[in-house]
Amino acid sequence: MTTVDTNPGTDTRKAGRFVYISAVVLLCAWVIVPLYFLLINTLSSPDTVNSFPKAFVPEFDLGSLSFFASFAGMLTALKNSVLVAGMTMIMSIVVGAPAGYALSRFDFRGKELFRLLILLTRAFPLPLLALPLAVMFIRTGLDDTVFGLALVHTTLAIPFAVLITFSLFSGIPLELEEAAWTLGCTRLTAFTKVVLPLILPGITASAIFAFVISWNEVFAAAVLTIENRTLTAFLLQNLDTSPLHLKFAGGFILVVPALIFIFAVRKYLFAMWGIANR
Amino acid sequence: MKFKTKLAGAVSGIAIFVSAGVAQAETLFWSTQAKPVEEAQAMREQVLAGQDVDYQPNDGGPWLTRLNAELQAGSGTIGVLGALHGDFSAMNPDDLVDLGDLGVGSASATFNELAKLGTDSAQYIPWMQASYIMAANKKALEHLPEGADINALTYDQLIAWAGNVQAATGDAKFGFPAGPKGLKHRFFQGYLYPSYTNGVVRTFASDEAVTAWEKMRELWAVTNPASTNFSFLQEQLLSEDVWIAFDHTSRLAQAFNERPDDFVAFPAPAGPTGRGFMPVIAGVAIPRTAPDMDAAKAVVQHLLKPETQIATLRATNFFPVVDVALPDDLPPAVQAAGDAVAKMSASADANPGLLPAGLGDKGGDFNRVFVDAFERIVLAGQDIRAVLDDQKTRLQAIMDETGAPCWAPDAPSDGACPVE
Repeated sequence: MTTVDTNPGTDTRKAGRFVYISAVVLLCAWVIVPLYFLLINTLSSPDTVNSFPKAFVPEFDLGSLSFFASFAGMLTALKNSVLVAGMTMIMSIVVGAPAGYALSRFDFRGKELFRLLILLTRAFPLPLLALPLAVMFIRTGLDDTVFGLALVHTTLAIPFAVLITFSLFSGIPLELEEAAWTLGCTRLTAFTKVVLPLILPGITASAIFAFVISWNEVFAAAVLTIENRTLTAFLLQNLDTSPLHLKFAGGFILVVPALIFIFAVRKYLFAMWGIANR
Repeated sequence: MKFKTKLAGAVSGIAIFVSAGVAQAETLFWSTQAKPVEEAQAMREQVLAGQDVDYQPNDGGPWLTRLNAELQAGSGTIGVLGALHGDFSAMNPDDLVDLGDLGVGSASATFNELAKLGTDSAQYIPWMQASYIMAANKKALEHLPEGADINALTYDQLIAWAGNVQAATGDAKFGFPAGPKGLKHRFFQGYLYPSYTNGVVRTFASDEAVTAWEKMRELWAVTNPASTNFSFLQEQLLSEDVWIAFDHTSRLAQAFNERPDDFVAFPAPAGPTGRGFMPVIAGVAIPRTAPDMDAAKAVVQHLLKPETQIATLRATNFFPVVDVALPDDLPPAVQAAGDAVAKMSASADANPGLLPAGLGDKGGDFNRVFVDAFERIVLAGQDIRAVLDDQKTRLQAIMDETGAPCWAPDAPSDGACPVE
């Protein structure tokens, strides 16, 4: 009798574990396999890139990568990309976090409308906005500066910054702040001493989001900067017409800095989802 | 508080640091051509070596947006524009500086006339030219139909050949650039229509055009179905997904340069009304907002020098527009393509067409008519006559709106070219 009872139980558990493990493997493969192929093809000679089937071990041919090493302006473009993304990150938080705080803590007329309107900056395609923006930038002297481009990217990143910080602030009970007020804190010190430490990982996560948005943006970067191009504007639009082996190598160069950045700040990303860092 | 002041400090600090570093001495060469990284590199290191030029190739969208922004703002950084004839003809000639007194130009009077964009003076200077040709893997040659000469193929022989290859290998190995960035519309405008109807606009919906599209359907039946994803046939030639291909010379170049012994280049096929083919012309122009007009003009003059033209040929696989003696040590792709183009234009049944002219900013709509016809007739299998009659009204509307007169091989017209 007992054997009959336990057998189906262990079976289900086994099957459950099997499904769980295969789901994990599948998800990992989903991300890792394309990156691995990118790496292999980056380190292959043009002949190997065009041949089929593909090898699973890279042959460490550095031809494609060394082409980019001598490609004029790569390092400056990389520096510009990092600068723009960094400034976008900072500015979108400086502007977005207070807006998120206000949305979660205060009731004011038109609050719902405001939440909707904030998404509108993403409602218009950039190619449509780029022309008047470029005209204005040329007239005001912001044209072709890293700061000007960062302003545009900040506008793109703000909706996410506001909405993410809004949900983060809403997750912190108002009572915590009220307790701090009764213990002698002002509104500001209650915020900096109580709420901010709790929320910092989440803010960092939305900053990462802003970084990635800026890193990936091409059109505005291509129109608004000329001497100070970002890496994506500099490389991406030239890659789609380039030979296959250079496409892989260029793609690799574009992916790696973003990967390193995400890897460096991964614990904050997890923190936003409430998994780690308690 | 401290945190925020720090942030604000950092932002303004970076802003000041960055805006201080802007210098402006070089002439900016804003181009839609020579975009692939290798070509851009060669432009910078070989063609423009020693010149004070910043060569920046771009996608069409950012290229035009940036240019329009500078024109609207009335001041700019772009010194020299490089683009296709179609890009310039879509612009207002007033925005381009008259270059008629520059003393340079193409050896071809036709090209120089096109470059006037309907005005009295050259608005751009022809810079380089290319064409579309066929290329094949040498493995495909043994399947050529009996009696067919690869340098004088007809469309029927091409279809039979691709059919033979399919029968022998089990795969359809004709490749056609029908991908999103592919140049399929040029095949219809410059090759299929002239070869079957001896026209492009006048004969758009003629009975001969119906025959042409029937042939296109036959050809598509032996075409690699993944062609709707192919935009640069050199890739598929190298990966051997495709053995026979039609494409722009510079989009086949990599195949010849990497494995010169494996591929042959040959002229486009001929139809009942001859061997239709079409040139591609790129030009250089100066926008009226150029910051340093003399420097920009010097760059244009430099680009038209014979030795620069040969360097450009090596860099981009686009041929010179001025009279030059070509050296013997050119890359394999240039030799193969040059040979095929020469055979094509020298063939007895040659029927050269011109680029669409006078369409202004309707060039894209004009292409759309042909691409839509292709998608509806060949991909969706709709009735040819019905589709052509339907598309005809759109084509006529474009011609009426722009008032563009007919161009070769269509017979000349008074006023807007009529769709008959």
